[in-house]
Amino acid sequence: MYIATVALCACGGCHNSLLAAGEPFVSLLSEHTISFSSYLFDRRTISPSDVVLATGGIRNHEELEIAREIERTSRKVIAVGSCAVYGGLPGARDREEPPAVSEGAGLPEMLENVMPLDSIVGVELYLPGCPPPPGLILESLKSLEGRYEPPHFDGTVCSECPRTVEVKPVKSWSLHPGCGVPEGSCLLNHGLLCLGPVTRGGCLAACPLEGSICIGCRGPSDMVLSSQLHSMYSDMVKYVTLSTASRREKVEKKLSAVLETIYLFTRRDPVIRAKVKERVPGE
Amino acid sequence: MSNDVSNLEGSEELGGQKVRLYPVTRIQGRADIEIIFTPYHEVSEARFRALEVRGLDRLAVGMPALRVPQVLSRICGSCGPFHQLASCMALENATGAVLPAAAGTVRELLCWLWLAHSHLLSIIYTVLPDLALPMSDMAVRNITGIYMVEQEAVSRLFRIQAAFAEALGTVAGTLVHPAMVVPGGVSSIPDVRTLSHTAELLEGCEDDLRETLRLLEMLIKRDAQMTFTGTTLEGHYMAATVEGVPFPLGDEVTVKPFGEGEPVVLSHRQLLDGMVEAPVQWSYLVPVSLKGADHLLTGPLSRMNMGYGPDTKWADLECNKCVEQWGRPLDREFLAYMALMLEVIRAWEKSRLLLEEWSPAGGVACAAPEFSAASGVSVVDSPRGVILHSVSVDGSGIVEAYKVVSPLQFNCPMMNRHLSGIARKVVTGIEITDAVAQRLQFAVRAFNPCVPCGTH
Ligand code: SF4
Ligand code: SF4
Ligand code: SF4
Repeated sequence: MYIATVALCACGGCHNSLLAAGEPFVSLLSEHTISFSSYLFDRRTISPSDVVLATGGIRNHEELEIAREIERTSRKVIAVGSCAVYGGLPGARDREEPPAVSEGAGLPEMLENVMPLDSIVGVELYLPGCPPPPGLILESLKSLEGRYEPPHFDGTVCSECPRTVEVKPVKSWSLHPGCGVPEGSCLLNHGLLCLGPVTRGGCLAACPLEGSICIGCRGPSDMVLSSQLHSMYSDMVKYVTLSTASRREKVEKKLSAVLETIYLFTRRDPVIRAKVKERVPGE
Repeated sequence: MSNDVSNLEGSEELGGQKVRLYPVTRIQGRADIEIIFTPYHEVSEARFRALEVRGLDRLAVGMPALRVPQVLSRICGSCGPFHQLASCMALENATGAVLPAAAGTVRELLCWLWLAHSHLLSIIYTVLPDLALPMSDMAVRNITGIYMVEQEAVSRLFRIQAAFAEALGTVAGTLVHPAMVVPGGVSSIPDVRTLSHTAELLEGCEDDLRETLRLLEMLIKRDAQMTFTGTTLEGHYMAATVEGVPFPLGDEVTVKPFGEGEPVVLSHRQLLDGMVEAPVQWSYLVPVSLKGADHLLTGPLSRMNMGYGPDTKWADLECNKCVEQWGRPLDREFLAYMALMLEVIRAWEKSRLLLEEWSPAGGVACAAPEFSAASGVSVVDSPRGVILHSVSVDGSGIVEAYKVVSPLQFNCPMMNRHLSGIARKVVTGIEITDAVAQRLQFAVRAFNPCVPCGTH
């Protein structure tokens, strides 16, 4: 197989997660051919590939061109990370003015807003996460070799979390990511707004395990995506209302004030925008 | 991504021609090198241009401050945890939150583990191809090319990387953007089992570290003869320090000249006040210098020049050997690659010392910050160099203003001057061969530039 990696509007974290897969990754690569990868390889042109691991969304005209070239020359594309899958954090707000640079300088012009990869490129496999764990990226790559089924996690972060939720009132809510909550006890029960109930699993509840809230980096779970009546916000309201035996209006008020933080990674995704139009901040 | 070096783009500028090398490979992010010629076809200047910008620092404005550190970790896929840490520390500085001692120890351990892991990825994917196969065809000048002929040497490095990755996974949960560092402390204190497992993992690395160090020493010595053009680094070097010794969470910043002159020691606030930002029209990166120090170097080679101190005996000894061999100051670009390896050793020694003397298990993890209208500043020395964060919050904990300065911004003026110097020596016309392109990129990679981090 000809394998390529490419980074568009990305922080480099997804690539580093892949590189951190270490020897198994390099050993797999050495059985194939790297067609292009500016992280790994000195070739400067995009060439035809069987598999492209693409990270990042599309934020400027250069990235748009690269995406079009990949669409023209690649057989299968894996969208690695929530920036590629949903547009990610750079799409959490509408575009602000970029720094002033000279028009004739040949720097890529910014687009109106960041776009998820599949706005331009046909995506074979979606791998959300900020970043996805190294093992998950490697498994996805192997699945396209035909050795394994592609990884899919239809549960939520809660379903992988060792903490247990109780039904009990919460005095006040905090956006603090965590503050020494006892092991085994659900962070929601301590007034920390953990998005585990509505977020796709597959990360082994990495953040709650260390006592820190899930900020929803793997995007909505299958349940949230399953019908028009579900959204990250409405499902979160329902869950918090139940787990804290609170009044729904009170919870709604609290959560609508921090809506932006619920859709940090997914706000630019057209499916999510269509489903929750009235809920997405800035609409 | 259309140009090969043979497809050079020429355009008229400054009366001469401009050639573009695009993209710069084996760095993080997208950038090009522009070489500008005089009308007499001599190199006038070469410059590294950042081609992307995301603006995550601007995203922080208007956001609840307590969410900001996790967001700003996403500035950089390598130094993300250090941005997260810097953001937490700026908020702590603004709120006056006092960090519990146990949380301070956990943070320090995390810093050393992250630093070593980040450097190991740089050594494997960037340094090794440059040092082991500098003259080879680009088809093999990469980690898989080396893996096929020198599997044992690469496996050794991967064993060390895997040990640090597992240690980080055990202590911090995730590798790249861990959630564990929070404003006021950390979200949990690792238990005794986690700590002893971490200690065992690190203990097992010693032989592989020794072998790898010897290999890099040998390669650097060999390559120095091939690549050194006589162009040395000039200007000042800078690091976060405690009593003059580099420390990622140091409360002061030391700036020393490569040549004659006295060192200057600044507080974090003085660094912020003394900075000069000089935006350019031709790059999304905003270069930063200091009043009285136009060309700064920050990162591993800066810290190696400061010296590691006696508590990390092995790293200190190797550092002194380098000084004996190459002279003081260490001002040759290829020594930056040695500095990466010596810092892995230093981080390994520091982590082990911390684990041996560990006492905070079960201590208080976090002091929740309380907000009033205030501003704060922090400096963290990340794997790639000094990061500065500055924040203003209102009384309800909403961010009113945020500023981030990254290592590449500090390094940019010196990197471009150095790149121009090398270009003048190796570029002989507008036809840029692969060997010349490789030499120019080597000059850039010595600064380990990370574009997403630099432009935020
Ligand atoms: S998904 Fe996260 S880790 Fe990956 S590129 Fe985007 S911000 Fe970085
Ligand atoms: S809400 Fe968070 S802490 Fe609670 S069970 Fe779910 S993932 Fe775990
Ligand atoms: S717990 Fe949530 S925020 Fe953390 S890695 Fe998993 S999905 Fe992402």
